[in-house]
Amino acid sequence: MMKTLLVIVMCAAALSGIALSSPILTARSQPQPQPAPADNVEKGRLGFVRVGCAQCHGREAQGSPTSGPRLGPNGLPYPAFARYVREPRLQMPPYTGKILPDADLADLYAFVQSRPKAATPPALQ
Amino acid sequence: MRRAAAVSAAMAAPAGVAAQSATPAASTAAPESSTTEAEPLTGGRAGSDFMVDTIKALGFEYICANPGSSFRGLHESVINYGGNEKPELLTCMHEESAVAMAHGYFKIEGKPLAVMAHGTVGLQHASMALYNAWCDRVPVYLLLGNTLDATMRAPGVEWVHSVQDAAAMVRDYTKWDDTPMSLPHFAESAVRAYKIAMTPPYGPVVIVADSELQEHPIADHHGALRVPQLSLAAPPQADSGAVAEAARLLVAADSPLLIADRLARTPAGLARLIELAELLQAAVISTQPNSLPPIAAGRMNFPNRHPLNQTLRSVAAIADADLIAGLEIANIYGATHIFRDQLERTSRPATKAGVKLITITAGDLSVKANYQDFQRYVEADLSMAADGEATLPALIEAVRRLITPERRRAFDARGAKLADASRLVLERARTDAAYAWDASPISTARFAAEVWQQIRSEDWSLVNGNLSGWPLRLWNFDKHHQYIGVSGGSGIGYGMPASVGAALANRKHGRLSVNIQNDGDMMYAPGVLWTAAHHKIPILTVVHNNRSYHEETMHLQRMGNRRNRGVDRAHIGNEIDNPAIDYAKLAQAMGWYAEGPIANPNDLGPALARAIAAVKRGQPALVDVVTQPR
Repeated sequence: MMKTLLVIVMCAAALSGIALSSPILTARSQPQPQPAPADNVEKGRLGFVRVGCAQCHGREAQGSPTSGPRLGPNGLPYPAFARYVREPRLQMPPYTGKILPDADLADLYAFVQSRPKAATPPALQ
Repeated sequence: MRRAAAVSAAMAAPAGVAAQSATPAASTAAPESSTTEAEPLTGGRAGSDFMVDTIKALGFEYICANPGSSFRGLHESVINYGGNEKPELLTCMHEESAVAMAHGYFKIEGKPLAVMAHGTVGLQHASMALYNAWCDRVPVYLLLGNTLDATMRAPGVEWVHSVQDAAAMVRDYTKWDDTPMSLPHFAESAVRAYKIAMTPPYGPVVIVADSELQEHPIADHHGALRVPQLSLAAPPQADSGAVAEAARLLVAADSPLLIADRLARTPAGLARLIELAELLQAAVISTQPNSLPPIAAGRMNFPNRHPLNQTLRSVAAIADADLIAGLEIANIYGATHIFRDQLERTSRPATKAGVKLITITAGDLSVKANYQDFQRYVEADLSMAADGEATLPALIEAVRRLITPERRRAFDARGAKLADASRLVLERARTDAAYAWDASPISTARFAAEVWQQIRSEDWSLVNGNLSGWPLRLWNFDKHHQYIGVSGGSGIGYGMPASVGAALANRKHGRLSVNIQNDGDMMYAPGVLWTAAHHKIPILTVVHNNRSYHEETMHLQRMGNRRNRGVDRAHIGNEIDNPAIDYAKLAQAMGWYAEGPIANPNDLGPALARAIAAVKRGQPALVDVVTQPR
């Protein structure tokens, strides 16, 4: 029955666009995870569902207005992506290295970056 | 007395007759009246006939009920004495569905439906739906059966179905109730209840119709038995001085923002908000289901494609505002703050320093203590306890008088900027919708686009569902009946029955009712599918089937990650799968045209077209769509 709460918490990132592009994130001094190897896209696809990213961002990382923004293609640079996953500024659940090792995180990034561009937008009258 | 006679008659019935299924001891007892004159076994006009006179006088078109013995007299009077017309009895399979149907009906028709229920178990079933109506400020007119006189109750079930104070259970979230002790008392209270329910802020009311009062022949009331005249109250308007001050603040503001939630009670409310917004060239946030903040999902207040509509960039619009006017908004705190749900829950202003805040809401006139639907306290600069729609004409005129040519030029420049911003976010939304266009399960954006393609040339009415906010982005809402808001109390089980009620109201207007139905919500009381088929209520239901209580899945993810345990098991207790429910078969079993499950997006459009054709033939139709989680 707790419908409204998660609506509140998930939508901040979805609609504002503030958190994912915040300079605060990129200014933090933390160990920089290495860029993802390109050949881990399939592992990333599986991980994207297994660790629950798909629940808010969709199975194709396409995003949803009410739960989580589109992640790829042409999303954040990997360091900013990784930092946000570890220490989300807004509503996203935090993913520590224990539940999402760096290698798996890199696979996720490879997957979201590999997503195809949008089709032709729907014609709307 | 009549009840006692019936019991005596049953005792005297021959062996094998059903009426003799009383206790074995009873069969040896002598009839109470056997030594005196014969008791009358039939009577003339009953009390419940007069109750029906009263109900008819109030203009109810329908009365919803799941049958119950505590209102058997009233039931019989509705269908026989009343001819089952105005009101016509609608057979419901759950009291929660009956109340939710009344809820949805009102939001289209602007008139309440009556509902009958047992005062005990029926009301217990109905209570969640009543809470939704209370939170959503919708008048539901509930008649409860009960047997107050203990000596008149049949042994057994009638005792467990009787209660001293039937309405007590829901008094925290109903506007008024009474337990009339005579027919004149019933008539007066029934009319009073209607008046109270229909005075903004609207709300549900309860009248207890005692079974003895229903079933006794009408006694001689010495000419006093009449239905009082109904005089509806004019809605409360704000104080003229406060309106003048609000107008001064609005005209002086550089970046005013109007946020409307349950403002437009009628189509006139929508027209008046457009007039005010255009007069000021002010930004508007409205009709924003399931978005951040979830503040303005109550009614269709403002066209979604109007250039001044800033709903899709609400965070920026709120941050930019130097004056915010909350119009019938229940959660003004949520609108002006950003809440963060991490291990330490925090809240911070979403507004800039020094922002002025005006509120106009009749909700301030109807606050109770126990249930916390009144939301967090806000520090308003000007607060008016008044109906928003009724106050808008005076506010518009006050604003008009204050606008100078200089301010007009500033307003026009502001409006042009807002129009550009609105156009950009709408274009971006269309681009966003095209990602994962061919995905299976079907993306919620593709789902919304396919439905729009099929309905856009119809006179349509979205009677339930938000589909992750995509209709607001992809459809064109500009009529009051095209959106009727959310449940109010977020009590699950609202969607399907409220849609059927709204579709009942839309039927006589020839509108295509569209229900985007969440799967979990649907399974609370799916018997309403049968009600729709039985009463030939045409409606298109498209199931947003993500095979889970998805909101709760996300809650579990939050808990699992916060505790460093991960999300791998978050589906436990939340998924609706293994087996997957076949909603098309469920609907077909209850007399609907139905197709699905559909997981290929290219199959969706043709299936919707076939379903709409069935709806146009007068049949309810369902398409089950397997979707992405959100």
